[in-house]
Amino acid sequence: MNIPESHLAQEAITALVDGELTAGPAGRAARHLAGCLQCRMAVEAQREAKEALHGSADVAVPGDLMSRLCAIPFTADVPGAGSGPGAMSAGPGELTLTSSTGSWSVDLGEPAPRRGHLRARWLRRGVAGTMVGLGAGVTALVLNLPGDGPREPIGRAADSVRPVQHSEVAPPALRTVTVGTAPTAPQGGTP
Amino acid sequence: MAPSWEQVVRDHSARVYRLAYRLSGNAQDAEDLTQETFVRVFRSLASYSPGTFEGWLHRITTNLFLDMVRRRQRIRFDALPEDTERLPGRAPSPEQVYADTHLDPQVQAALDALAPEFRVAVVLCDIEGLTYEEIAATLGIKLGTVRSRIHRGRVQLRQALAHLAPRRPAVAGEVGA
Repeated sequence: MNIPESHLAQEAITALVDGELTAGPAGRAARHLAGCLQCRMAVEAQREAKEALHGSADVAVPGDLMSRLCAIPFTADVPGAGSGPGAMSAGPGELTLTSSTGSWSVDLGEPAPRRGHLRARWLRRGVAGTMVGLGAGVTALVLNLPGDGPREPIGRAADSVRPVQHSEVAPPALRTVTVGTAPTAPQGGTP
Repeated sequence: MAPSWEQVVRDHSARVYRLAYRLSGNAQDAEDLTQETFVRVFRSLASYSPGTFEGWLHRITTNLFLDMVRRRQRIRFDALPEDTERLPGRAPSPEQVYADTHLDPQVQAALDALAPEFRVAVVLCDIEGLTYEEIAATLGIKLGTVRSRIHRGRVQLRQALAHLAPRRPAVAGEVGA
């Protein structure tokens, strides 16, 4: 049995374990490994480390982080809002961002119920405030977002008449309707 | 039809958060990194070119992580020259780590022990399943550097595991002495 002249390079061992060697080098490596315990152990060590990480399953994203991520369109300033090529427009239930490469829509539907009124507020901020570019920046706003307690409802006539509904999300179109129908709740109100 | 932002978040947040958690080793930093990654994505929608989305997310997340590490090293060096303790100082319990990440806490701890550059290479390869070429592109380094970082990272990881869990059969058994 002849002693191998030189062992496999460390990088070749790693590449072999990852299936990143092409056929030629992989064949040469296999022939060397057949006669070299030391290199076989090095391969085994790399494989074990790889397998230790392999069992890592998916990670659940915390719910409040999810809410914050979904709220980014309302809290981050938008490129091109002021000077660039992009544009932002709000329609009933969705916000559309248009850039030179395409457009993205931000759905304003299915809000988390307890945050509904906040989202409506962000929308207004988002459309009015971020277009101008809030000086405070994203991080400051982000601090305001999650898990804060009950806030003052947005001052609206309908709130005093039908307080139960004040937390519904109110994209522009819907808000108009709500205000418009509010006076009909008490009997015989004038339009 | 334009993809909705919520759809983008739903499709990619688990992947980004997992990567951020594996790299940073704790939920707080992982949340911050994930949030910042998506803020960058949102701000950069104009420069997004179709087909590279996941690579783009990997690049943003890993760069933010490396920035964070360097910033903390600098702060530690400037402000606490003789303090060898780790800055974050908020170690969750092993149960918490497992509940959060479904990764053996000792494996996560072993990952945390790696130098950040090695950790990034190993995580991208062995957890995210990227090819060497993709890793090289993500980190802006050469293929040879990718190989050597993965190699050294795995050697260190295995040593850390053996050190953390001397009774761990899969590792300790073959470590030999």
